[in-house]
Amino acid sequence: MKRFLIFCAAAVLAFANAAFAAEPVRIGHTVSLTGGASMWGQSEANAVDMLVKKINAEGGILGRPVEVIRYDNRNDAVESVNVARRLAGDKVIAVIGPAQSGNSIATAPILERAEIPMIVTTATNPYVTVDQKTEKVRPYAFRPCFIDPFQGTVAARFAADRLGAKKAAILYDVGSDYGQWLSKYFEDAFTARGGKVVAKEAFRSEELDYRAQLGKIREFAPDVFFIPTSQKEAALAAKQARDLGISAVLLGTDNWGSPDLIDLGGEAVDGAYFVNLADLDDPDIRSFVTEYRKTFGGDPVLPNPIMAQDALIMIAEAAKAAGSIEGPKLAEALANLKDIRVTSGVLTMDPSNHNPLDKPAVIQKVDVKKKAFVFVEKYQGR
Amino acid sequence: MQTLVTGLSVGGIYSLMAVGYSLIFSILSFSNFAHGAVIMLGAYIGLALATRLHWGLGLVVAGSVVGAGIISVFNERVAYAALRRRRAPSLFLMISAMGCSVFLENTVYATIGSRFFAFPEFFRREVVSLWGSSLSLLDLFAFTVSVGAIFALHLFITKTKTGIAIRAGVNDMTMCSLMGVNTDRLISIVFFLAGAFAGVAGVFLGIKYLVYPTMGWVTNKAYIAAVIGGLGSLPGALAGGLILGVLETLVSTYLSSVLRDVFSFTMLIALLIWLPNGLMGRETEEKI
Repeated sequence: MKRFLIFCAAAVLAFANAAFAAEPVRIGHTVSLTGGASMWGQSEANAVDMLVKKINAEGGILGRPVEVIRYDNRNDAVESVNVARRLAGDKVIAVIGPAQSGNSIATAPILERAEIPMIVTTATNPYVTVDQKTEKVRPYAFRPCFIDPFQGTVAARFAADRLGAKKAAILYDVGSDYGQWLSKYFEDAFTARGGKVVAKEAFRSEELDYRAQLGKIREFAPDVFFIPTSQKEAALAAKQARDLGISAVLLGTDNWGSPDLIDLGGEAVDGAYFVNLADLDDPDIRSFVTEYRKTFGGDPVLPNPIMAQDALIMIAEAAKAAGSIEGPKLAEALANLKDIRVTSGVLTMDPSNHNPLDKPAVIQKVDVKKKAFVFVEKYQGR
Repeated sequence: MQTLVTGLSVGGIYSLMAVGYSLIFSILSFSNFAHGAVIMLGAYIGLALATRLHWGLGLVVAGSVVGAGIISVFNERVAYAALRRRRAPSLFLMISAMGCSVFLENTVYATIGSRFFAFPEFFRREVVSLWGSSLSLLDLFAFTVSVGAIFALHLFITKTKTGIAIRAGVNDMTMCSLMGVNTDRLISIVFFLAGAFAGVAGVFLGIKYLVYPTMGWVTNKAYIAAVIGGLGSLPGALAGGLILGVLETLVSTYLSSVLRDVFSFTMLIALLIWLPNGLMGRETEEKI
């Protein structure tokens, strides 16, 4: 009798499995819908929804429709960990996001334990996909965007080759991994090109007045002033630098790329350059931008929407290649993606570090009169 | 020299905020930690007047002074008056003030959101040379107005009838009410004045930096300034702000900018231990 019951239970389970085959595939999305990064987060959510509709119309993933489970991580590391736990409980096959390096580093170990691959969107710190302690690649972490060593190098190349700068000053946030590492990468690359970093000053997160540091920087009369911070600090530093009579060309990083940089910085940020992941005028993404405008009646807030779409395409392509949605198989397929067509162009994964091999970076110039970021130059990766 | 000039201009804003702490401490003997939130609301009022109604700087400051003053009085009526009548210990008032501060900040988060705003540019980005060091036009203006306003307040308190009543209240509130002074009205006036200074400080902070819900955070520094000068003393608040501004700038320039806050808060703790009355404070037991 007991044996018969077990047999019945097994039969029911097998039947249930067969019935579930038509059930949707769940993909997690951890994104900042509120808080300081909500502008990008909202746009990212829109872009993912837009693409899910398209994928489902074309037959979904392995014949099953895609369902997105989305939670707000409020751009906070603790909340990101909570969201990751909840997503693991929801049995998602893969996770898109988070967008920020700090939140991604906090999320990675949890999803790794649950054997769920995560594809962060715009987290550029090297230690998102590589464990800092062991220097080994994290088996379940991937990204579609370039990484900070490349970004720092591009900024230094642009400063040395295009601006002809010899002396550079740096101001960064000592409380942020992003700023600390970028300062180092920039300094290394700039020195390698024959330039000299004459002043390297730091401030504490949440601080608003940098005039003491800027006063020191002014004495060295740098040609270029590198500020790897978010748009808020960059705007403040720019204003205060101009007030003190520092006339160096300002140079920033992808965190500057927010429309309110111009509102906050005003005249002071006019003519500044910064490295970004994508540009609205890039011909490669024209069709995406047109579709987004048509659907949501406004411009996407770059680069997150593009990178989130890339992440979703990576998941779909990997599932197709693996013929499975099981975590370990999906992760292996993700690591070996080659020449797939994504929204931002073409993508090939480097299996040794889970970074894309050939992601380009663009240099944009701030034009206050036009209230726009103008495309200047594109640097190819590799 | 540049360090000194920068330090003084940073200190000017600290002084302006420290005055609000000192005024209220002098009369009710508690530290009004909601002052930072009133400054923040003052900045939002100024911002609304400047961007929605396109008022000029003078009108913006005036509007913000009146608005923040009213908020400050309202804050006292709602949160402190009942405690005060019950003769609650000043610790209760202080805790209530902390509650008000969190309440106001989160109300702004919930209604306006966490976005950063910048004031329109009232001043051309022009650099003034002063003894070989540069200073922006805004800083010079803010410094002059700060010192001027503090001086005007000093005159008001020493020369007018209401001012004399306030000073009497500072000495002995019970005696003062026995002599026929309406203490409720008196306290409202003091809160209005503190709020007015919060309005000026809010607009200047907003122009100098940005407007956002937790901008009142910098008032921690103003509190240290008030302690240096001696809580409850107006000249002390002015001197304390300037001294703190200059010292901080010296530390950032010659030691390390990262050590700046370590230094400021060490100074706060040391002062509370060895010189609890500050430079110009009167003798009191409680300083929190």
